[in-house]
Amino acid sequence: MNIEASKESAAMVVTVTGRLDAVTFSGYEQKINALIAEGETKFVIDLEKLEYISSAGLRALLATAKRIKAKSGQILLANISGPVKEVFDLSGFGTIFQLYDSVESALEIVAG
Amino acid sequence: MIKIKQLSKKFGALVVLKDISIEIKAGEVISIIGPSGTGKSTFLRCINLLDQPSGGSIQIDGVNILDPKTDVPKIRQKMNMVFQSFNLFAHLSVMDNLTLGPIKLQKKSIKDAEQKSMELLRLVGLAEKANNFPDELSGGQKQRVAIARCMAMEPEIILFDEPTSALDPTMVSEVLAVIRRLAKEGMTMLIVTHEMDFARDVSNRVLYMDEGGIYEDGPPERIFVNPQREKTKAFINRIRNLNYHIASPDYDLYAMNAEIELFCEKQVLPVKMRQNLLLVVEEMLQLYNPLLSTISLDITIAYSEKKESLELVFDSLGEEVNLFEQNELPDEFGLNIIKNLAENIEYQRLNNTNRLSLILKKHEK
Ligand SMILES: Nc1ncnc2c1ncn2[C@@H]1O[C@H](COP(=O)(O)OP(=O)(O)OP(=O)(O)O)[C@@H](O)[C@H]1O
Ligand SMILES: [Mg+2]
Repeated sequence: MNIEASKESAAMVVTVTGRLDAVTFSGYEQKINALIAEGETKFVIDLEKLEYISSAGLRALLATAKRIKAKSGQILLANISGPVKEVFDLSGFGTIFQLYDSVESALEIVAG
Repeated sequence: MIKIKQLSKKFGALVVLKDISIEIKAGEVISIIGPSGTGKSTFLRCINLLDQPSGGSIQIDGVNILDPKTDVPKIRQKMNMVFQSFNLFAHLSVMDNLTLGPIKLQKKSIKDAEQKSMELLRLVGLAEKANNFPDELSGGQKQRVAIARCMAMEPEIILFDEPTSALDPTMVSEVLAVIRRLAKEGMTMLIVTHEMDFARDVSNRVLYMDEGGIYEDGPPERIFVNPQREKTKAFINRIRNLNYHIASPDYDLYAMNAEIELFCEKQVLPVKMRQNLLLVVEEMLQLYNPLLSTISLDITIAYSEKKESLELVFDSLGEEVNLFEQNELPDEFGLNIIKNLAENIEYQRLNNTNRLSLILKKHEK
C-alpha cells in the first residue's frame, strides 16, 4: 500500500494505492491520525487506485471516520469501483458512507 | 509395439531407473507424471537412445534396439522426440527445419518434402510462417513447429518431454490443442507433463513414476481420482490440495497469499475466484486472530474440477468453539463477506478439533 496526501483548498485529498488489508490498515490509520494531529479536519479519500480491501481495511476507514467526526470534521470517499466496490457491497459497508464518483464532486460537497 | 524389459539407467553411482518393464501398444496415449528428479526425462531419453540404458532390453516391433548392430538414426525416426526447449535450428527457416530430416535421412525429394511439410504446418496452424525463422515466432508457435517437424519424419510414436513448461501460460493451450488433435488421429504418444488436467483428458493411460520406476500404471480415472498406492495418493493429493499451517498471530499474510496464488495458477482458476478465495481466507483468519497466540490453525484448500468449486477447511485444536457464532470481531463486515461469497458454511466438532468448512462457488453472483 502507498498513501499520498495533497492539500486542496477545500480538503486534504488522500490517495490510497494497492492493498488495504490486515497488514496495511495500520499504516493508513497512522497517516490519517498524523494529519488530524496537524489540524486537518476535512478529508477526501481517493480509492481509485486501491486494488484490494478486506474487512480490516474497512474497519480502518470507519475508525478514522469516527475520529474525524469527533472533531466535527468531514470525510468523503471517492472513486470506489471494481473489486473494492464489490467488497463494499458484500460487507454491508457501502451503506454507511456516502460514495462519490470523483474527487472533484467530493471536493464540491466539502466546499459546500 | 514397444516392449521394455528390466530397463535400468545409472549415472555413475546414481541409480536413476531400475527394473522398468512395460509394454506400449500402438494408439496408446500415455501421460507420465511424477515428482521432479524421478527419472521421467531419463526414461524418455533411454527409449530414444539419447541416453544409453545401463541394462535391460527395449524392443520395437520385435527389434531389440539395444543391440549394437541397430541403426540408431533409423530408430529415432520411428520415435521422434519433442523437447521442452523446442530445439529448432535457429539458422534455418521454419520450412527448412521441417524438410531437413526427410531430405537428408529419408532421401525424399525436395518437392515431396516441402509439400508434406506445408500440410503439417497447416495442421498446426502455421502455414503462413513457413518462411520465417524460429526467433521470429512466439514460444507457442516454436513448439508447434517442433511438433510439425517431428511429424515430418512420419514417426510411429512421439515422445514429449514437458512440451509446455517453457511456455508463457497464455501459449500453453495452443500447443496442447495440437497434441490433443494428434491423439484423436490415433498417434501413439508418451507425454511427460505437469499439466494434470491435460494429462487426465488426453491420455488413456497414466504412468506415475517414483522410486526409480513406474510406481503406478492405470487409466486416468483411476490414477487421478482413485489412486491405489500410497505415493501416488500423496502426489495427487498435493496437486489438488493446498495445506497451510499457521502457528502465530504474526503469520505472514503475503507469503500465504503467494502460495494460494500459485495453487490457483496450477488449477487454472479464474481471476474472480482467486480474488474471492484470497479475501475469504483473510476474513477467516480475522476470526481466528485472537486465538492464534495459543492455538495453531491448519488450512486446507481443495479444488474440485467436477463441481468447479473450492472447499476450504480450517482445523484448530482446543476447547469447543464455533467462531462463526462466538467471536471477538467488532463488526459484521468480515462475516458478511464470508457469508456472501461462500455456501455450506459449517461447524463440526471432531475429537478435540474445531473444524470450520465452507465452499466457494466458481460462479457466484
Ligand atoms: N546426464 C546426467 N548425468 C548425471 N545425472 C543425471 C543426468 N541426467 C539426469 N541425471 C539425474 O537423474 C535424475 C533424474 O533426472 P530426470 O531429468 O530424468 O528427472 P525428471 O523426472 O525428468 O525430473 P523433472 O520433473 O524435474 O524434469 C536426477 O537426479 C538427475 O540429476
Ligand atoms: Mg524432466
